Amino acid sequence: MIGGVFIYNHKGEVLISRVYRDDIGRNAVDAFRVNVIHARQQARFPVVNIARTSFFYTKRSNIWLCAVAKQNINAAMVFEFLNKMIDVMQSYFGKISEENVKNNFVLIYELLDEILDFGYPQNSDTGVLKTFITQQGVRPVTREEQTNVTSAVTGQIGWRREGIKYRRNELFLDVIESVNLLMSQQGQVLSTHVAGRVVMKSYLSGMPECKFGINDKITVENRTKTQLDSNNPNNNNTTNPSTTTKTAIAIDDCQFHQCVKLSKFESEHSISFIPPDGEFELMRYRTTKDISLPFRVIPLVREIGRTKMEVKIVVKSNFKPTLIGQKIEIRIPTPPNTCDVQLLCMKGKAKHKSSENAIVWKMKRMGGMKESQLSAEIELLPNDKKKWNRPPISMSFEVPFAPSGFKVRYLKVFEHKLNYSDSETIKWVRYIGKSGLYETRC
Amino acid sequence: MPTMRGDAMRGLAVFISDIRNCKSREAELRRINKELTNIRQRFRADKTLDGYQKKKYVCKLLFIFLLGHDIDFGYMEAVNLLSSNKYTEKQIGYLFISVIMNSSTEMKQLIIQNIRNDLQSRNPIFINLALQCVANIGDREMAVAFTNDIPRLLISGDTLDAVKQSAALCLLRLHRTSPDSLQLNTEWTARIIHLLNDQHLGVATAAVSLIDALVKRSPDEYKGCINLAVSRLSRIVTSSYTDFQDYTYYFVPAPWLCVKLLRLLQNYPPPDDPSIRSRLNECLDTILNKAQEPLKSKKVQHSNARNAVLFEAINLIIHMDCESSLLVRACNQLGQFLQNRETNLRYLALESMCLLATSEFSHEAVKKHQETVINALKSERDVSVRQRAVDLLYAMCDRSNAQDIVQEMLTYLETADYTIREEMVLKIAILSEKYAVDYKWYLDIMLKLIRIAGDFVSEEVWYRVIQVVVNRNDVQSYAAKIAFEALQAPACHENMVKVAGYILGEYGNLIALDPRSTPLIQFDLLHSKYHLCSPTTRCLILSTYMKFVNLFPEIKHHIQDILRHDSNYRSSDVEIQQRATEYLKLSEVCSPTVLATVLEIMPPYPEKQSPLLVRLKQKKPLMESEGAVEPTSSATTTPVTVYIDDVPKLADTAQQNGLLVSLDTPESNGHYEDSTFSSMTKPATSTVQSNKKFLLKNSDIIFENELIQIGIKGETTKSSMEIELYYGNKSNFNMTNFSSNIICTGELESELRMNMEPTKATIDSRAQIKQSGTIDCLKDFRDLPKMSITFYYNNMPQKIDFSFPIYLNKYIEKATMDSNNFFLRWKNLEKSSQEFQKIFPANFPMIYDDCHQKLEGFGWSSLTGIDVNTENFCGAGIIHTTTQQIGCLYRLEPNKQAKMYRLTIRASRDGVAKRLVELLEDQF
Repeated sequence: MIGGVFIYNHKGEVLISRVYRDDIGRNAVDAFRVNVIHARQQARFPVVNIARTSFFYTKRSNIWLCAVAKQNINAAMVFEFLNKMIDVMQSYFGKISEENVKNNFVLIYELLDEILDFGYPQNSDTGVLKTFITQQGVRPVTREEQTNVTSAVTGQIGWRREGIKYRRNELFLDVIESVNLLMSQQGQVLSTHVAGRVVMKSYLSGMPECKFGINDKITVENRTKTQLDSNNPNNNNTTNPSTTTKTAIAIDDCQFHQCVKLSKFESEHSISFIPPDGEFELMRYRTTKDISLPFRVIPLVREIGRTKMEVKIVVKSNFKPTLIGQKIEIRIPTPPNTCDVQLLCMKGKAKHKSSENAIVWKMKRMGGMKESQLSAEIELLPNDKKKWNRPPISMSFEVPFAPSGFKVRYLKVFEHKLNYSDSETIKWVRYIGKSGLYETRC
Repeated sequence: MPTMRGDAMRGLAVFISDIRNCKSREAELRRINKELTNIRQRFRADKTLDGYQKKKYVCKLLFIFLLGHDIDFGYMEAVNLLSSNKYTEKQIGYLFISVIMNSSTEMKQLIIQNIRNDLQSRNPIFINLALQCVANIGDREMAVAFTNDIPRLLISGDTLDAVKQSAALCLLRLHRTSPDSLQLNTEWTARIIHLLNDQHLGVATAAVSLIDALVKRSPDEYKGCINLAVSRLSRIVTSSYTDFQDYTYYFVPAPWLCVKLLRLLQNYPPPDDPSIRSRLNECLDTILNKAQEPLKSKKVQHSNARNAVLFEAINLIIHMDCESSLLVRACNQLGQFLQNRETNLRYLALESMCLLATSEFSHEAVKKHQETVINALKSERDVSVRQRAVDLLYAMCDRSNAQDIVQEMLTYLETADYTIREEMVLKIAILSEKYAVDYKWYLDIMLKLIRIAGDFVSEEVWYRVIQVVVNRNDVQSYAAKIAFEALQAPACHENMVKVAGYILGEYGNLIALDPRSTPLIQFDLLHSKYHLCSPTTRCLILSTYMKFVNLFPEIKHHIQDILRHDSNYRSSDVEIQQRATEYLKLSEVCSPTVLATVLEIMPPYPEKQSPLLVRLKQKKPLMESEGAVEPTSSATTTPVTVYIDDVPKLADTAQQNGLLVSLDTPESNGHYEDSTFSSMTKPATSTVQSNKKFLLKNSDIIFENELIQIGIKGETTKSSMEIELYYGNKSNFNMTNFSSNIICTGELESELRMNMEPTKATIDSRAQIKQSGTIDCLKDFRDLPKMSITFYYNNMPQKIDFSFPIYLNKYIEKATMDSNNFFLRWKNLEKSSQEFQKIFPANFPMIYDDCHQKLEGFGWSSLTGIDVNTENFCGAGIIHTTTQQIGCLYRLEPNKQAKMYRLTIRASRDGVAKRLVELLEDQF
């Protein structure tokens, strides 16, 4: 169980300190500062153990968030909690910065009291929290509201209150994927995977029940099977796997928001749920097979003597010509003994950032099936001591499709009491493919 | 930069403030990376920079380095700054170099050249900068490079005082870091010594430190300094000489110089020349007088400076140890300090007094302060001071005051600090034994000691008690009586049980007639403690019971019952079980007469050195016992090992009185507790190791017996081999008058040239000394030189002779060549005198890799792909002698079926091939 939560600024001064359990002493706050924040070597592990106490921490824009525990607790749970806490704080007061934390410390203590009880994580849903932790100071609460809050917190559907009404029933669905890649010099894919999220923003009246369909391999196969079975009950052998594999994808693992009825998912493989009001993350998934890589980087590095190096980079976009990739940035590391860099590129802007030891090449947008080139001449100061082990070239981008091939097949809304039909709700679906760690060795 | 005024480097200031303002480590790193790229751009070979810019960027690099980042460029620019004419630029250059000096050798040569230029310049500031840099780096190369320049600066007439001062200190530093590489010309000795007379006190102060270091290296060469040091000292201390420039420190004239001079004089015995001697005594007298004067200032610095000089003077007085009046005065002075309020002063006074107590002149004077010291022991708050007080009490103890002191120490022991208790116990034990007039008193004290501080009584102490009792007939019955009484206490320490058990077992019969201590009562009393003891003590008590069986047959049954008891007879402890079983059988089977023989009273112990002193020395390696300056052994000596004594009666027993050595009686010969030790007492026999390992390796043990082990390490370059010999003393006694010689006889004299440095004369017990030297090969040789070692071990002269294993192959250098070349040379050496062939059976398993390794170890190459048959070995080498080089080629053909080898060697010089075959034939 989490023994306490501390928040520090970049200098290691304590901004927030909340201790939940007696086994965490006062010196734990200092121990973390001394051993991690002020450590000589930069700490490389997200969990450190100092004097039999575990410290789990993350850093968000110069703010250290640290959870401590004396017991052997589930580290993944702690990090999930820390990230959730960041989300909650962000939704309350925007960007996490020293200034904001200082200005809202009363609120943060209040939140910490609510989302952790004796070290056990409680309801951390922003929507629900906002119903009873407000920034407006104390106002008289009517009896009705009181019961509402109570039922919301204690009831079966803790994430949605009753009596929500919208004039226009609308929902937005974002499929956000991040592609991770490590490619060898010769263009051989060494490792790749996609981590995706389905984020839903719902503005629906009443207590709607939704059903969500995706092109998951198992579901699709089930469906085709049942279809075939119903169409052709006498012949089971005519299922054609080739038609299913084209459109369906293999999801390695996935996880759902608490509102999804897992029992139904297990038995029928259908995703049905009553959504919370507002924005939430419906599911997360991960795929590793059949990923269409949006960009390919072809590096060409030549060392001419001890004082010169020539680098040529070709970027090819590898998606439909009708689509356009955005926010493209390629980062080419330079040796530490660089003195000067001459750059020449056909498209976009390129610059040598000496503070980061890298050439940064930016392009606002790039169409599908195009290619672009950059050449650089790097002058070096002769240095025979250390051999430079070339770090990989990394790239970041945004494309308007899902590189894993993930497709939303349907999203149906049923509301029995209020009687608005599925066809009356307005639905928006958007696919965004982003880069994760997208690297090519050179 | 024309716009810049002065030396304020704005760029540097901005950079530093940028770094200071960085919010995070990452931001700092980014800023540094940016700056490094910028500097690299500036330092590119094709750009020219003016001195100011160079200085600025070098400064930035230095700052980055000090922040903990690696710097791998900019050295060249820094070295360039050295040749600048501006002070600030030169200074930054030197700063950079002395902070980051790890670059390559070529850079080092350049730096050394630059420093040399500065040393020879006319500008004293530049010279000082260079000297500072040399001292800061202070490594071997610097010492070698400037071995002439710096002394020249020091002694030349036209150098400034400040430069001379720096030169002296720089030379001192080089001397400290690499004394062997700094060769000082002997012609300069006199002039260096004369620096003591320098007008400038600063120069003299710096020079004294240097001379002190040099004196430690070669005392005879610098003997002249005594004179000058004394006269300088007397000028400062006695005369009314007032021109001390700025060297009067809180009313004390030149305290540092005084202290250093006094310390310098401690390197030599008291001066022989009566005039100098009287002058020195006068100085010391004056210093002691001055200590009596009232303080001139209340400031602590004044008293500190005055006391520093005073204590150093007292140290010198103690060192000279010949002026009784001075010693007594020093002692009185220290006596005053004993009551001083300052803890440090009390500590120092006690420490110095400890030394004074060992001098025959001042021993009596020290004794006057016994009361004060005992008071200090009782009332002092600081534990370290109390410890000193104990040391002093130990040192001042003699026959007249022994009883008092021992009594006081015993009283103090009850409240003493735990950390010093064990040492105190040892000291009490030693003193009470050494000055015992009446052994009853001794036994009383010892038993009291065990009672008071049982936990801190080490094994040696109670062993010793038993030894004394066993060896003195007159106290045995008294011992039995008081041991019995001590045992009657309701709670007694285990050590007490051990002592009492042993004594009752031996001499219980002497008190058995007393109705209060009949055999049964003795036995019951002892047995009531039995179950509370550890297994080792139980073993001892079982032996006592067995002795009882012999002494008192009437309680035999009781004892047999106990031996038969399950807790003994079937004890989980093997030793107890064995003793119970064997003793039981012994008591059942043997007749009383046999028993009486077997269980006879222990004969007296033979002995030379008290185990207690050994133990005390182990505990406190710096402790000076009884004034003798015996080097101490750090090895763990068990008390039993000192029983070994094969040379009785050699020590002059007449001179020494007291119990410690009086045990050394002739009757003691022949008894050993354990048979394993008797094997060690045979006269030293030599076991030469003749396995010729040194033939194929670079190091080996060339000789070993029970007393000494000799190791060798050698490394050859061309015709000269640097060897190091290690002599290890394996015994518990020091070896004195040690000398070793390598003798070349006959032809060998013209073939080898030995150049060994002399060894130390003494090897401490369990210590090792090193002897290094070179052996040059003048011509090829066959015979081995003789090595002869002589030393005194335990006052017995010992001599060891053996062949010194240096072989011709040590001078072989590897040669590699291809197949054609090899056979061309092979054919060239076809005269019958040049070739030698031998077929011999294999001694070892015929493994290819082993052979390969041995051949490589032999010195020459083992080439692959020369011979058609891959099983065969071929190779070549060159023997270097000072007169000629001898090429040699070999072929080694193994025959696995027959388990034989054929070795063929051809060498360009006649006879060499045969010698090499002889060396190599029994190695495969």
